[in-house]
Amino acid sequence: MALLPSDEVVTVVPAPSRGAQLVRLAVIVTLTGLVAVLALGFRRDPQDIRTGTVGQAAPAFDLERLDQPGRLRLADMAGKVVVVNFFASWCIPCKQEAPALVRAWERYRNSDVIFVGIVYQDSPDAAIAFHERMGQTWPIGFDDPGRTALRFGVFGIPETYFIGKNGVIEGRHIGAIDEATLIRAIDTLRDKQ
Amino acid sequence: MRPRVAIALGTAALAVSIAVTALPRAEPQEDRVERISTELRCPVCQGLSVADSPSDMAREMRGLVRQRVAEGRTDDEIRAEFRQAYGDWILLSPPLLDARGAVWAIPPLAVIAGGVLVARRLRREAAAPVMVTPAQHAAIERRVLEEALAE
Amino acid sequence: MSWGDVGAGALRAAFPLALWGVVAATQAAWRRDGRFLASARMTAIATLALVTVASLAMVGALVSHDFSLHYVAENNARETPTYFSAISLWAALEGSILLWTTILAGAVVYVAWRGTRELPRLATTALALLFAMLSFFLLLVVTPAADPFVRLDAVPLNGRGPNPLLQDHWLMGLHPPLLYLGYVLFSIPFAYAMASLILGEGGDRWMVATRRSALVAWALLGIGIVAGGWWSYNVLGWGGYWAWDPVENAAIMPWLAATAYLHSVMVEEKRRMLRTWNLALVIGTFALTILGTFLTRSGVVNSVHSFSQSAIGPLLLGYLAAVLALSVGLLLWRSARLADSGPVAPISREAVFLFQNVLFVAVTLTVLLGTLYPLAVEALSGDQVSIGSPYFDRVAVPLGLALLFLMGVGPQLPWHGASRATLERQFAAPVVTSGALALVALVVGVRGTAAVLAFALAGFVCATVAQELARGIRARGTLHGESATTAFANLFKRSGRRYGGYVVHVGVAVIALAIAMSQAQAVQAEATLGPGGTMEVAGRTVVFEGLRDVVEPRRTQVVADLRVIDGGGSAPLVAALSYYPNATGAIGSPGIRSSATEDVYAILAAYDGRSRAWATIQIRIIPLVSWLWIGGAIVGIGALIAALPAARARERLVAATVPAGAGAE
Repeated sequence: MALLPSDEVVTVVPAPSRGAQLVRLAVIVTLTGLVAVLALGFRRDPQDIRTGTVGQAAPAFDLERLDQPGRLRLADMAGKVVVVNFFASWCIPCKQEAPALVRAWERYRNSDVIFVGIVYQDSPDAAIAFHERMGQTWPIGFDDPGRTALRFGVFGIPETYFIGKNGVIEGRHIGAIDEATLIRAIDTLRDKQ
Repeated sequence: MRPRVAIALGTAALAVSIAVTALPRAEPQEDRVERISTELRCPVCQGLSVADSPSDMAREMRGLVRQRVAEGRTDDEIRAEFRQAYGDWILLSPPLLDARGAVWAIPPLAVIAGGVLVARRLRREAAAPVMVTPAQHAAIERRVLEEALAE
Repeated sequence: MSWGDVGAGALRAAFPLALWGVVAATQAAWRRDGRFLASARMTAIATLALVTVASLAMVGALVSHDFSLHYVAENNARETPTYFSAISLWAALEGSILLWTTILAGAVVYVAWRGTRELPRLATTALALLFAMLSFFLLLVVTPAADPFVRLDAVPLNGRGPNPLLQDHWLMGLHPPLLYLGYVLFSIPFAYAMASLILGEGGDRWMVATRRSALVAWALLGIGIVAGGWWSYNVLGWGGYWAWDPVENAAIMPWLAATAYLHSVMVEEKRRMLRTWNLALVIGTFALTILGTFLTRSGVVNSVHSFSQSAIGPLLLGYLAAVLALSVGLLLWRSARLADSGPVAPISREAVFLFQNVLFVAVTLTVLLGTLYPLAVEALSGDQVSIGSPYFDRVAVPLGLALLFLMGVGPQLPWHGASRATLERQFAAPVVTSGALALVALVVGVRGTAAVLAFALAGFVCATVAQELARGIRARGTLHGESATTAFANLFKRSGRRYGGYVVHVGVAVIALAIAMSQAQAVQAEATLGPGGTMEVAGRTVVFEGLRDVVEPRRTQVVADLRVIDGGGSAPLVAALSYYPNATGAIGSPGIRSSATEDVYAILAAYDGRSRAWATIQIRIIPLVSWLWIGGAIVGIGALIAALPAARARERLVAATVPAGAGAE
């Protein structure tokens, strides 16, 4: 058997120092905490940003209407459930969610529910063309230069806000929305006094 | 020039320069816009500030800040307006006097704690006076030179 | 046989081999049996060969657009140019882990063949640990966690193409591999340190043996970080190079910890102190490289870079937890053997190193804290908060300036303490230089306190280095009778570690100055112009000549042609927005005109989508920013000088034969 040459060094072990226990404890606690925080991070979706205007009175807007002449004012919609959808023609998920919005709109159009589209950073012509192509018939307003979106706390479109009869924002959805979510949110608000 | 005089002059020049930079200056409006924008997070970007982001939304937000500055609002009022819409998330650094301001205290505490730990070990090394012969002196000179080249 | 078969086969063969490597190296270390060592060495070679084959197979699949592989279909398209196809090896998670595994296999071979010759027992133990790490990464690539060779049943006609940000600049071929090399090479000092603890050694042989790998890893990581900044400056289109993005932080943290380590090893070598501390720094550095990978790849933080979310997160976290538990456990268990003591003179080089270590660790902790704080707050309270550059800048700038100061002070102080007269002699010239430079900064219009201090301290550091060089040249002249030029060359050749280190210091001073000036003194202007319109920025006229549409197979571009007119004449500049089929938004391609004094940075911010009748142009004048990249190169050159083997031993012998006192006055 070929033995490897030994390269050991002899070490004298001094007595352990006092206070070391405390340091040990601190190191272990800190590192455990670090790993725990990282583990908890898995429960978090970095795309889901919850903070914002939910629970606050909806910021008033008064916008130029694009689908027909006139103004689009939140003040005119008091006492109704209002669904505000921020969109643009260049936004791909806006295209994906359009059919769900249209179906929900057909379901509630003759009730106390109002749908409103707010055009976000788009040209008026492109927005009108998109609106018609998607078969949307609810009013749309032109948000120039994007101040309404800033007051609502829009992160990125599409984004949909649900305003109760009392004028308070009761819910919001970031990203493409589906029909079930729309119906659930609207029904909750309609039942609420 | 004697080293001591040179050090005094250099230090004085440095101190004067720092004092000049510390003089209060009027902050132009555009600098204020820039400074406030630096502290706001761009909502559509990933981690960039409103001042840095080239996105349309950041441009709008800078526009709003500029308008508010022109209207004569205070920094706090402008920040509060964004905070109302976007929550604490929009601020890129937590306010100092806030429950979450603790994050500001950790770095200085780390420096102080580390400094104290090191300072406790600082002690002058005991050096006994020795008599040196001329031959030994030459050897010491040589060692000093070698040390100058050592790792 | 397809590329996929070759790659998948090679990896599946490599995994059991690496496991055998663990067993063989452990046996070799435990029983001191040379046959096992020979086996471990051959296993190392075979594993490296297999993972290299797998990497090349992936590159082959990418370059030949083999969309039957999921990875290729996701990260490549027929239109992707060959260069960007090849470097798509690290465009996404699976390929990056494959590259990582390959580099790690290279490190295993290095230790198996080089390391075990120098220190058989220690290096063989380290080899077992490295084989264990390699097994973990091979486990990732042979299981669905990060299998790069997953097949598609339905082969698409074309792939989605690489992430647009990653196919926009040649630097993408450089920045990630440099970072990975830096990350992975830190495994060597870590494995040796752990081997030393396992064997119960109290000495610092592990440290001496891995000095060079630590230095090389540090340098590659540092250059990789600067290259990343350069990439970001060229591609992200906001005129900056560093955003304190979580993943940038992940790269800088191990670098900071390693910088502290590279300095504190010198204290251990000279004074036999700080043994526990140096082990802790090596563990910390290595753990931070894993944390960095975790942050990049798990998707728990929001970042430009975390373009992947996968099941790999929990595995990497488990790996991190295991590494921390084992290494910290070992360190605490053995720490009694490592106890060291001894006084430190208040004004001595070792004292400066200690304070420097405190500051570096404080910066590292700050970055770590700032990066994880939003995670912690959300985990505890559910609130969402942000920590970004205002926080990091405010904390890191004062600490950085203090470090710059210590960087000038340290080399001027002797070990064991200094007399007052020595101090005055050593610091006269540097202090005068720094005072003078502070005044120069004021005269050229710098107004920020931090920027003026950066000027002064950069001058201070460079003056100390110049003085050290002069001293070294004089010393060689006296000792060896060399002329000034020969002595200058020989300083780097024979005392490379020390003088290479000084070159690194100069590079860092240059970088500090470039950062201070580009941050504090940049000027910007924005205007919406029609064709022929002009705007004035800081004494320059920028003419907007018009918009063009450029259609390429892989992208379409809207290009703004600009002309910059200043005292020196006029030059064209092109800023563009690029649209890739797989991206929702436009990717900015800024126009940059660099010079030694400043960059003109042009951004096409917005344009008339219908008739191309107007464009919004943003111009930034950024002073001295190109010195940031030059400083990075200087750091690299300095590190190279320091890492090259010196002809020291031979010289000692020659010097010893010179009659005593011959050179002394």
